[in-house]
Amino acid sequence: MLLPALFLILGLILGLLTNFTIPEIYANYLSIAVLAALDTLFGGIRSQLEGKFDQSVFISGFFFNVSLAALLAFIGVQLGIDLYLAAIFAFGVRLFHNLAIIRRIMLEKFRLRKRNK
Amino acid sequence: MIISNKGKIWISIICLIVGFMIAILFETKQSTELRDTRDLWEIRTALQKEQEIQQNIYNEIAASEVLLQEYENQPERQQLESLKESIENLKEQAGLTVIEGEGVVITLQPIFQEYDEYQIYPELTADLLQFLINQLNDYGATEIAVGQERLINITPIRNVNGRVYVNNSPIGDLPVKVHVITDDPTRLINHIEVSESIDYFALENIELKTKQVSALVLPKYDQTINLEGLEITESLEEGDI
Repeated sequence: MLLPALFLILGLILGLLTNFTIPEIYANYLSIAVLAALDTLFGGIRSQLEGKFDQSVFISGFFFNVSLAALLAFIGVQLGIDLYLAAIFAFGVRLFHNLAIIRRIMLEKFRLRKRNK
Repeated sequence: MIISNKGKIWISIICLIVGFMIAILFETKQSTELRDTRDLWEIRTALQKEQEIQQNIYNEIAASEVLLQEYENQPERQQLESLKESIENLKEQAGLTVIEGEGVVITLQPIFQEYDEYQIYPELTADLLQFLINQLNDYGATEIAVGQERLINITPIRNVNGRVYVNNSPIGDLPVKVHVITDDPTRLINHIEVSESIDYFALENIELKTKQVSALVLPKYDQTINLEGLEITESLEEGDI
C-alpha cells in the first residue's frame, strides 16, 4: 500500500512543479475525470480489502470511467443539460459508499487484531 | 489476496495519473489571475494620474496642517473665529452660500422655424441638461446654477412626469437660464460656441445664447444636504485599474 501512496504524492508534486495548466473551459471535464479516478481508486482499495481485487477490472474501470465521465460532461454541455451533475452524483455516492465499506473493514481488522493479542 | 508486483505497479501508475490530474486541476483553479495588458502609454497615463492624486493629497495634508498649526497657536477667542471662518469656507465649497463673480449666462430658448405645419413647443430634457452641465464643468465652470437652483455635487437632474427637475423642484418651461461662474468667461464661451451641445440642443429646437456678465450672483443651495445614503465604495470601477 506504500508504493501507490508514494506515487500519488509523486504525481501531485510533478503536477505542481511543472506548473502545467489547462484552459478554463476544460477544467470542468478534468474535475469530473478526477472524481471518476478517485472513485475507481477507492473502489480498487475496497475490493482489495474484500479480497476481490481484479487487476484488469481495475485498470479498465479507471480509464473507462474517466473517459465516460468526461464524455458525459461534454455531451451535457453540447445539449445544454447539466449531465455532469449525474456523474458527480453517481461518483459521489459511490465514493462515500466505498469509503464507508473501507472504514468498516478496517475497523473489523483492528478489532480482530486487538482480540488476537 | 495478495496482489502481484505487476498489479502493484499498475495501481501505482494510476495513482500517479490521479495525482497529476489533481495537481493540474489545482493549478488551473489557482492561476486565474488577470494579466496586465496595458501598453506603455496606458501605464504612463495611469502613473501620472496616481501622481496627481498623490500631489493633491499632499497639498490637502499641508493645508490641513497649516490650519491645525493656526488653531494651536491662537488664543481661544481667535480659535473660535478661525473655526467659524473654516466653516464659512466649507459652506462656500459646498455651495451653501450666495456667490458672486465673473461669468456667463446661457439662455436656452426655443427655436421657431418657418414651418408650414404645426410645430410643438420645444421641450428641454434632463439628459440634454446633464450633457450641458457636464460640458460646462469640463470647460472650467466653477459654480453653476440652473434658473434659481444652485448646482452642488449631489444635485439631481431628472425627468419627473415629463418635466425637468433640478434639486427636486421643476425648472419650468423654456426659456431657461443657466448661470455659470468661471475664471475665464471668454474661453468658456468660445468652447460652448464650438461644442456638441449646440448641435444636440438644435436637434430639439433649442438655441443656446451666451452672454458674458461681469458680476453674476448665484443663489445658495437652500435645502439640507442629506448624506445618509452615502457610503464609500470598496469595489473598483471600470477604468480604476
